[in-house]
Amino acid sequence: LTLCYISSCSSWLPQRAPLRGSHWQSSLLEVRTSLPVRAQPKKKKKVDVKKEQAQKERMKKRLRKLEKAAPELIPIEDFITPLKYSESNRVRNLPPLSPEETERRVLLLKKWCLFKQKQDEAEKKAIKALVESQQEALKELRLESEELYQAALQRDEGLFPFERDGPSYTPPLPGYDPPEGKCIDITKVYTQ
Amino acid sequence: GAAAPRPWRLFGAMCLLRLPRITQAMEKEEEEVAALMEQIEVEKSQYSDHEIRKMEEEEQLKKMKESLYDEEEVRGKTVIMAQDLEEKWEQKFLRFKAAPRITDADKSNDRTSLNRKLDSNLMLLVRQKIGNQELWLLPQVEWQPGETLRSTAERAMASFLGDHIQAKVLGNAPYGIYKYKFPKAIRTENNVGAKVFFFKAFLQSSDLSQAELKTDYLWVTKKELGDYLKSEYLKKVNHFLLD
Repeated sequence: LTLCYISSCSSWLPQRAPLRGSHWQSSLLEVRTSLPVRAQPKKKKKVDVKKEQAQKERMKKRLRKLEKAAPELIPIEDFITPLKYSESNRVRNLPPLSPEETERRVLLLKKWCLFKQKQDEAEKKAIKALVESQQEALKELRLESEELYQAALQRDEGLFPFERDGPSYTPPLPGYDPPEGKCIDITKVYTQ
Repeated sequence: GAAAPRPWRLFGAMCLLRLPRITQAMEKEEEEVAALMEQIEVEKSQYSDHEIRKMEEEEQLKKMKESLYDEEEVRGKTVIMAQDLEEKWEQKFLRFKAAPRITDADKSNDRTSLNRKLDSNLMLLVRQKIGNQELWLLPQVEWQPGETLRSTAERAMASFLGDHIQAKVLGNAPYGIYKYKFPKAIRTENNVGAKVFFFKAFLQSSDLSQAELKTDYLWVTKKELGDYLKSEYLKKVNHFLLD
């Protein structure tokens, strides 16, 4: 749409009729007073957009609040005793311990204390001897060659992680065919 | 430039250990305390489902023996008692025969076998010629310029057991050292004696049939080392061996 076109006629001279700006103008002298119609839909969109944005922000705030709130603790199955084990018929009825028995137990635990102490001291002594032996070896190596000494001090990257199967009570039976079975895992998995 | 003359010759030796395959026997105190712990655990526990079932069935049996009319009720059902189950399990357990902890090699004291003394560490000893003596030693070879001492020890292991030996060497640093001076007859200013650096490794392959052992060899425990090694050498080796 074009703006109005006013022919500037300083004097009324008989002329050909001045050109109209557009065929929407009914009269030549009409000036477009209103703004182009485009403005109205523009206003609507702006307001809508703003409202939509405000709504989205409110949703996001609510989500953030939910996330910030401390997550529900996952219950530890082992710490919850099922109710069926608190029935009275479950309690074992045993005769009370005789004084000789309690005496024996106390003395045995004291012996055990001493045994463990000696075991621990022996372990520490062995480790100390190991370290001393290594220090002596490294000292002698340094006297020989600085290069070999530095090579010996390098960390062995391939050593860790170190994995090994521990000893069992009996050695493996050659040619043993273990019975077939299927293990169905029923542990409950909790998600946050 | 020319390499400086070394008065001490360097050797790398490998202490190869076969780790225990079975648990050690418990000491007397350990057994007593283990029994006590089991007792306390039973005392502090409650009846399990199986035990309750057993108790209920025992009571039923008693009632049945005392009163006659209950028997007719029960005869219709085929009941597997908890006691029967226990006997069945016991029979199954007795039928299984585990491998013995004391092997044939133990009984015959075959010290070349790896299947001996399964509850202790076994280490490799080989017969080597040092000077004009044949000695039992941890496998060792002389260091060559250009290699680290750890490689020397690995080479020593490979030279006696072959290239396919699988062993985990425990780090780059030596564990011990044995220093000795040559007998005066061959000792010179530039050839005073030798330093033997020991490295430790764990044997990982249990099957050594592929290994071609070229000399006499033995697998011995720490206590049996005294039967073969000379006292000074033994002292230094014992320093870095854990029981």
